[in-house]
Amino acid sequence: MSNRISAKDVLLGGIGTLAVLVPWEIAARSGIVDPSIFPSPILAISSAAEKLSATEVLDHMGWSLFRVFSGFLLGALAGITIGIVAGWYRTAGYLLRPMIELLRPIPPLAWIPLAIIWFGLGEPSKFFLIFLGAFFPVVTATYQGVTNVDPILIRAAQTFGLKGIDLLVRIVIPGAAPDLATGIRIGWGLSFGVLVAAELIAADKGLGYMIMHARLLGYVDVIVVGIVLIGILNLLTDGMIAWLIKKGIGRWHEV
Amino acid sequence: MKDWLSRYGPSLLVFVVLLAAWEFATTNGYLKPYRFPAPSKIAMGFVEIASEGFPEDLTIWVHTRTTVGRILQGYIAAVGLAIPLGFLIGAFSTLEKLTAPLIIFGRSIATLSLLPLVIVWFGTGELTKVVLIGYGCFWTMISNVIAGVKYVDPVLIRAARTFGVSGPALFWRVILPAALPRIFAGARMALGVGFMVIVGAEMIGTVEGLGALIMEARNFYRSEITIIGMLVIGIIGFLIASGLLHLEKMLIPWDTGLDEVRR
Repeated sequence: MSNRISAKDVLLGGIGTLAVLVPWEIAARSGIVDPSIFPSPILAISSAAEKLSATEVLDHMGWSLFRVFSGFLLGALAGITIGIVAGWYRTAGYLLRPMIELLRPIPPLAWIPLAIIWFGLGEPSKFFLIFLGAFFPVVTATYQGVTNVDPILIRAAQTFGLKGIDLLVRIVIPGAAPDLATGIRIGWGLSFGVLVAAELIAADKGLGYMIMHARLLGYVDVIVVGIVLIGILNLLTDGMIAWLIKKGIGRWHEV
Repeated sequence: MKDWLSRYGPSLLVFVVLLAAWEFATTNGYLKPYRFPAPSKIAMGFVEIASEGFPEDLTIWVHTRTTVGRILQGYIAAVGLAIPLGFLIGAFSTLEKLTAPLIIFGRSIATLSLLPLVIVWFGTGELTKVVLIGYGCFWTMISNVIAGVKYVDPVLIRAARTFGVSGPALFWRVILPAALPRIFAGARMALGVGFMVIVGAEMIGTVEGLGALIMEARNFYRSEITIIGMLVIGIIGFLIASGLLHLEKMLIPWDTGLDEVRR
């Protein structure tokens, strides 16, 4: 799939964006829509900057990023490990699969109350939720990838004398890599969504808390800036992960 | 019967053993009953919530109906809007390029991060929840519809043109059937998003609905009811998703699975 972006595409995209932003700005400034409820993009940034210092915003952002990266990393690692074990060893599959299949349809956010019961209101409960957001997509994708590796590849490798761990590491895991990559990207998206929700509902720092707190104070401009900031972070980190995946498994598969 | 047993038997066995171990561990004090309510307590809780209700008269059926109703309202509105818009955008490449940044950005906004803003706009009532679900479903749906239309194999279109098919016939007989598998995949993903969003949205400003139920149960230290609520959310999500999958297989038998596309 060629995904080259030409200068013309950028220009068209810019025009399209302006076609939305400019009328919005005009409507908010001329008072057609109430700017305290529907602030204009430019005014929202400048007035939000008066209410919040950059260090405060960076602090919230740092907490959010720390939470989501560490929770995701552990969740993805656990998912990969358990997915490989359940997919490769038959007995382990019998033990692990029913539990995974039973818990998988429960959306990660539905774990919020239980996370609070188990871990209290502090950091560990958010960590656990983000962990779950990454874990389930990664574990199912890994399991699927491992069980769907082309049997011809496996038989060929066995003919050449590969077996046990060598077979797993050199044939099966590379063969499962595309599925794994899909799972990781879905997991990242979910972890990020869970992060925001967890911070909205129970936190005292982080971007989710920042916007929920701004609502109590009636700072709509801060809310808007916060939403956009969260969106940009999501976009950037997702792009970064996509790039890493492409670099990491590009030598085995075309992505 | 024998097939069934050899296929599901081991899983079922694992499951029963696990439940028994859990029951044993809580009743003998190895696990704290509040943190890990025993299966028997969960079963009793289910009887209570199915007959008397929690909190006050709101039975599990009422909660379920409310939640499913909210999801469907937002979901149907989003899908109904995304399909025609997606076809329009996917069909004209200039339009697609004009809207690309907006769609990428709209999709990147974390749906629940809109919660405070939507509360300012619409209050904490029903509309807020439906709007949030609609927002989440819309972007998932529209990106899939656009991709479905945009990536219709050009060979198919050229072949159809060679046979003299054009205009509306080209759309109805070639583009639409080729795009449908992706559209259905989008519809399933969007539903997943809807389930995710509703649980978060219901945790604030309501006592009705499954998301509210599990949060409320925690406030009253009824962890067994929280677990029941979670299981019900999972079961309903699973049932609706597999229903959609069956519908998809029935309606579009030419769909051979989207593994290629998803990669």
